[in-house]
Amino acid sequence: MARRYDSRTTTFSPEGRLYQVEYAMEAINLAGSTVGVLAEDGVILAGEKKTTSKLLDQAKQHEKLFQLDDAMFCAVAGITSDANILINRLRLTAQQHTYSFSEPMPVEQLVTSICDYKQGYTQFGGLRPFGVSFLVAGYDAHHGFQLYHTDPSGNFSGWKGYAIGVNNNTAMQIMRQDWKPGMKLQEALDLTAKVLVKTMDTASPTAERLEFGIVYKTPEGQVKFRMLKDTEINKLMADATPKEGEEAAGAATSTS
Amino acid sequence: MAPGQYSTDPKQHTLSPIVTGATVIGMKYKDGVILAADTLASYGSEARYKDVCRLKKVGEYTLLGGGGELSDFQYLSDQLDEMADEDWLNEDGCFMGPKEYSSYIGRVMYNRRSKFNPLYNQFVVVGKKKDEPAHLMYVDHQGTAFEENFVATGFGMHLGIPLLRNSWRADMSLDEAKALATKCLEVCFYRDCRAYCKIHIGVCNGTSVDISAPIPLNHFWGHGAWTEKRLEDDDPTATW
Repeated sequence: MARRYDSRTTTFSPEGRLYQVEYAMEAINLAGSTVGVLAEDGVILAGEKKTTSKLLDQAKQHEKLFQLDDAMFCAVAGITSDANILINRLRLTAQQHTYSFSEPMPVEQLVTSICDYKQGYTQFGGLRPFGVSFLVAGYDAHHGFQLYHTDPSGNFSGWKGYAIGVNNNTAMQIMRQDWKPGMKLQEALDLTAKVLVKTMDTASPTAERLEFGIVYKTPEGQVKFRMLKDTEINKLMADATPKEGEEAAGAATSTS
Repeated sequence: MAPGQYSTDPKQHTLSPIVTGATVIGMKYKDGVILAADTLASYGSEARYKDVCRLKKVGEYTLLGGGGELSDFQYLSDQLDEMADEDWLNEDGCFMGPKEYSSYIGRVMYNRRSKFNPLYNQFVVVGKKKDEPAHLMYVDHQGTAFEENFVATGFGMHLGIPLLRNSWRADMSLDEAKALATKCLEVCFYRDCRAYCKIHIGVCNGTSVDISAPIPLNHFWGHGAWTEKRLEDDDPTATW
């Protein structure tokens, strides 16, 4: 392994790789499961909290999901302290846009701005990259509901469904099969719950370990963000958890 | 700093305008919004540049009309062109419309005045973006900014607004709106020493932004009251 070329972010290895950036992405693969699903009438982000302890003075502390603007929020996977810097920046950028232009910032422009910022740390300054990946979910009048994934290299793409953190491959596999165009918010919530049941490393997934957030359109036509209540999360997860005999039956039918 | 001194910087800021434009009239009509201004840039009391277009197309959907210092209007126009180019370069299917531009101009104007280095203008920013409602905003050198159905700057505020208040309706046709704007600018030409008898009219209807060719105004000086001889004509001290 070409270790000599690892230590500085701003140097390519002989094979043309940026090792620091790749190591940053490794850090994220150990983070709690985070899933995003795009529906026709909304977007969902959900994450598994890693730090759950009786001693934690939890109250209102978020670990995974953070609101960025009236109709935009993000899920974090990776180093929390790095994420806090970027979230502050995202929120400020969105508000500065609204201050200048009296209009909410288009989602893709906000994602682009934070990605350009992250990219800078892979090219100059000699500083390490941010060890954070985001799933950004939002709504704007130009392109409707959108879901984006960003990584430490500063790259991003738009997705219909994406997962980061532990077991993200399993999650993506399930979504590849079960995501359908034209899904409504409730179906997408069921899909998200189903994915999390498979990827979380616990037998009884409850609201204590999970955060769920949605951007949706109210019956009056206004677009809003909200976090799901514990009761709603528990119901979703309970409905998605197969009962004793069902799991085996499900497996049998899918292989035949 | 000495009393009355606004800056320790040896560089001085221009606080009074030199080459100026006069009235700008803006009003919404049934399908969009129009802007009208004369083609004069005055050098104090001299009618110096008589073929100036004080209306500018900004981006795809917006029109900017400027009264006051012409160089500041040109400076801001160039800055807005650069912003429009960057907006186009994003290639993200999102384009800034009159709401964004007028809000941005408002913030620029307020921040400049707060630094005691104003852009000495009264702007009317109008536009209509596809299916959104028409937008009309007044912004001036003090950073005052507000939205309205019709506005006028400069002398037009005193001479034109009363006419607009009487005749403006939300469902006016384009021709009615143009006629009303023309009438306001005619009255301004008669009574404002810094106005002129040639105008431009710009129209934003949601699909395109068009600035007309120069339109000459009608003006009549043969009124009896103006031409007939009066007792005081031979008396140089008379002030009537």
